Amino acid sequence: MNHYELLLTHMGTVLHLQYLVPLLVGTIAGVIGGALPGVTITMTVIVVLPFTFGLDPLQGLAAMIGVYVGGSAGGSITASLIGIPGTPSAVATTFDGFPMTKKGEAGRSVWVGVWSAFIGGALGGLALIELTGPFASLALEFGPWEFFSLFVFALSMVAGLVGRSVTKGLLSGAIGLAVTIVGPDPILGVQRFTMGIHQLEGGFDFLPVLIGIFAFAQLMPDVEQIRSGEQQIAANAPRQISLKVSHMSVFWDILCRPFILLWCTFIGIVIGVLPAIGGSAANIMAYDQAKKFSKRPEKFGTGIPEGIMASESSNSANVAGSLMMIMAFGIPGDAVTAVMMGALTIHGIQPGPLFISQQPKIAYGIYAAYLLALPLMVAVIWIGSRAWMHIIMMPKSMLIPIVLVLCVIGAYALGNSMKDVYVLALFCVIGYAMVKARIPLAPLILGVVLGDQIEANLIQAVSTDANPWLFVTRPISGAMLAASILSIGLAVWQHRRETKRQAAAAADEEDTDF
Amino acid sequence: MMLSRDGVSGFVCLAISVILLTQTFGLPPAAIVPIGPAFYPRVVLSILMLLSVILIALDFRAMRITAAPAAAPAAGLAPNYRLVLATFIEFGLYILVLPLLGFRIATFLFVLSLQVTLEWPRSAKHWALAVAIAAATSIVCYLIFQDYLSVLLPRGTWSNM
Repeated sequence: MNHYELLLTHMGTVLHLQYLVPLLVGTIAGVIGGALPGVTITMTVIVVLPFTFGLDPLQGLAAMIGVYVGGSAGGSITASLIGIPGTPSAVATTFDGFPMTKKGEAGRSVWVGVWSAFIGGALGGLALIELTGPFASLALEFGPWEFFSLFVFALSMVAGLVGRSVTKGLLSGAIGLAVTIVGPDPILGVQRFTMGIHQLEGGFDFLPVLIGIFAFAQLMPDVEQIRSGEQQIAANAPRQISLKVSHMSVFWDILCRPFILLWCTFIGIVIGVLPAIGGSAANIMAYDQAKKFSKRPEKFGTGIPEGIMASESSNSANVAGSLMMIMAFGIPGDAVTAVMMGALTIHGIQPGPLFISQQPKIAYGIYAAYLLALPLMVAVIWIGSRAWMHIIMMPKSMLIPIVLVLCVIGAYALGNSMKDVYVLALFCVIGYAMVKARIPLAPLILGVVLGDQIEANLIQAVSTDANPWLFVTRPISGAMLAASILSIGLAVWQHRRETKRQAAAAADEEDTDF
Repeated sequence: MMLSRDGVSGFVCLAISVILLTQTFGLPPAAIVPIGPAFYPRVVLSILMLLSVILIALDFRAMRITAAPAAAPAAGLAPNYRLVLATFIEFGLYILVLPLLGFRIATFLFVLSLQVTLEWPRSAKHWALAVAIAAATSIVCYLIFQDYLSVLLPRGTWSNM
């Protein structure tokens, strides 16, 4: 059977109720989670995670892919209707989506976003299907030296690109790696840093750490603002907005601008492939690019479809890029795919270069679920269009306790033990402390995901050949280590340039005062 | 002169990395492979230590450069840290009583108390809604996970349910 025949077969499989129901429920949860301001896609996938433990791996993944696709588009609803991005990946959608709504074109604003996400996602899906195999074949050529260097490169790039400070990004990554050194060493099983606590003898499981880090880090900023913030949203937002629109004219809006659509989709895929950067960067970069290439850049921010298209197509295509990275290399493209990776490992499945050949049912099932989630996302938003304003207004005081209970269940259900709940609580505190210290969380998560693999590949490489120079002299490994240094150097340079520019701007402002 | 949050984070990370680094000297040497169980932790902790020192140094440098008094906090919404603290305490208590009271009772009490803490119900109708949400969360989660997804949720040693 060729590639597309296999895909069609698995699409038929996913269309069976046992897979379609989790996919649909995940998509609904994703759209709602994405639309709720302050509830990110990561948070939604964490909430859905415990429900997947009792399912077979593909059912669980279908639910999570539904959340991922639905959440990416759901964020744009809030961004367009009330000018507050439902998720960080919809920030750029507010720039033109909300002004368009204020001009009385709420339906056009929402549906340009949704259909752009659909088309961008479908094109991303094509890239996912076509490129994952070649990427995995490339990864199969890698030895432990190359994997070690690849993981170091991924970590250094994320640390350099995320947040305002390179030092803090790298520190966050190092904290993530430090989390993985607790527990038995991978060769002899010697206990390290357990401090006599026997619950730590297995080390920290990845999922309770991830749930803990994100739970309080993402919910507490809402709690800080709960009294004033909610009242403000409620006061500013209208209770009922009509989303009726001619879908043909919306399609024309999108398809008569093919360059923006294709270019921003491409940006989304590339950003998705880069580890742990995610849709929050993709939508801003795509918006910036669309503005630079536009014949009417001055119109951006006034409510034009190009701005919404750029943000949403890149945001949706980013999902495909992230899935590609996890399937080919076993490196999560962002926090959502990190949760998916954790869910796979619970079922004893290791994503990576051998994933497609060893687990073709799941691999093609992922492709099929992704492609089917796109029309489901459109249908969910269409059918629920009357309810969105009510959902957006759901009080945080109701939502937060329920989310926290589901986080506790998610941690507990991993091993039916309170140990993981205590780990969750510990990392809740650490996650919130990091948010207050303005230390980015993404490098930490990648550090936790990759820490064990970095150590295992390092030991395997040195055990195969004790010559440490092989890390540098093997071409791919050396190139990636050089790229790691280059990416950190580049990030430091960019940061300094930005600091100087801001200082110069501040000095200019002071001069004008006199 | 006071340390900013960067300096404080730097010192916390530095302290942790130094403590853990000293513990690596108690680990056994390599037996089968060229590098032992202490090698990788030492590399990671040394990097953590170095980055902590850089963060502290950058913070001190920033304090020296910023001679002007700190700007007044922006006029806007002041973070409600009392509510954050209350949420942490209630969440901590929930985790502590979970094995004692069992999932159903502990979850009902937690969801109800946190709702009330985050937004005080202004009428009997709001109270009824809060109680209904707490009861529904507890019962629905229990039924879905215990009966449908085969996840055994904690039973209380005190309540036996």
